[in-house]
Amino acid sequence: MSESFRGSSGRKVMSRASADELGSVGHLLVDAQQRRVAAVVIGSGKKGQLVDWAQLSGFGPDAVMVVDEDALRPPADDRERAATEGSLDLVGKRALSERGNELGQIDDVTFDADTGALEDLLIGDRRVPAGSLLGSGSYAAVLDESQEPSP
Amino acid sequence: MRLLMTASQIRGLPVVTVGGGEDVAEVRDVIYSPEAGRLVGVTLNKRGFLAGRHRDVLPAEAIHAVGQDAVMVLDESSLVDPQDAPDDVGRPATERNVIGDDVLTEGGTSLGKVADLVLLVGSTGEVVGYQIDKAGDGRGYIPLPAQLSVSGVALVVPNITEEFVQDDLVGLGAAVDEFRARMGLT
Repeated sequence: MSESFRGSSGRKVMSRASADELGSVGHLLVDAQQRRVAAVVIGSGKKGQLVDWAQLSGFGPDAVMVVDEDALRPPADDRERAATEGSLDLVGKRALSERGNELGQIDDVTFDADTGALEDLLIGDRRVPAGSLLGSGSYAAVLDESQEPSP
Repeated sequence: MRLLMTASQIRGLPVVTVGGGEDVAEVRDVIYSPEAGRLVGVTLNKRGFLAGRHRDVLPAEAIHAVGQDAVMVLDESSLVDPQDAPDDVGRPATERNVIGDDVLTEGGTSLGKVADLVLLVGSTGEVVGYQIDKAGDGRGYIPLPAQLSVSGVALVVPNITEEFVQDDLVGLGAAVDEFRARMGLT
């Protein structure tokens, strides 16, 4: 089933083991090379925590289910710290072609809720296949040159 | 039709990694080789509030593409210590600057003085023309042959260059290919 980053923001995160509510989805951290969701970021700033995709038992329409609350962990490196601070969120990110030209702003991202695989990036009225994504960081998401507008 | 930009439009552009999407530096200035007709590299400033000169330089070989909004590199290792860069990037000769040089045709007509470099957008720093100050007649743009004589005070261009003087970058973008075809260049 297809989900979107915007649509899943704020969804509650529950523990499968205890049925406790652990928080809500802040945003999703992507692995641009693998073109998939790497982790769910819960909360933000110093209290921000992550759950790796592999620790989910389901990314459902009403709740994101985590195997148990031990799966919540603090950021492990600089990149994950940047993620909990919100600076890696793909939604709202500038899109650059690998030729160095701006293509617009990423309004939303769709992904497969079963596998975490990214599907499309929505940039204005364009749907760009996630296969064009080369890299993503605090400054920009970089897309391959097939997305370059023809002069 | 070619998309073109001037070297002054490149100054201040972020240097962004393709794989990481991070702005690792910004362009301070371009280092140009008139003989090669291309950039040999760029010098850098730091990004953000700690702005100031960046110690490293970016050799042209490490440039993935020069775009209108960013200079792209594969990753942060593309930025190198000047000591480890080729001599023309790490220790550029300042007298090689062509800005202010008189542009003379082989027939002895002055077209004006070089005001700026014109680069091919999306290339790794190919210079395809110059912006010139025409004597008492505003700005113009001329295409460049691959090889030309440069002395540091003047540069000599083929006579047909005079037919190709353009009023703007769009005009030059349209004229570059025809000029090159007429020059027998590919």
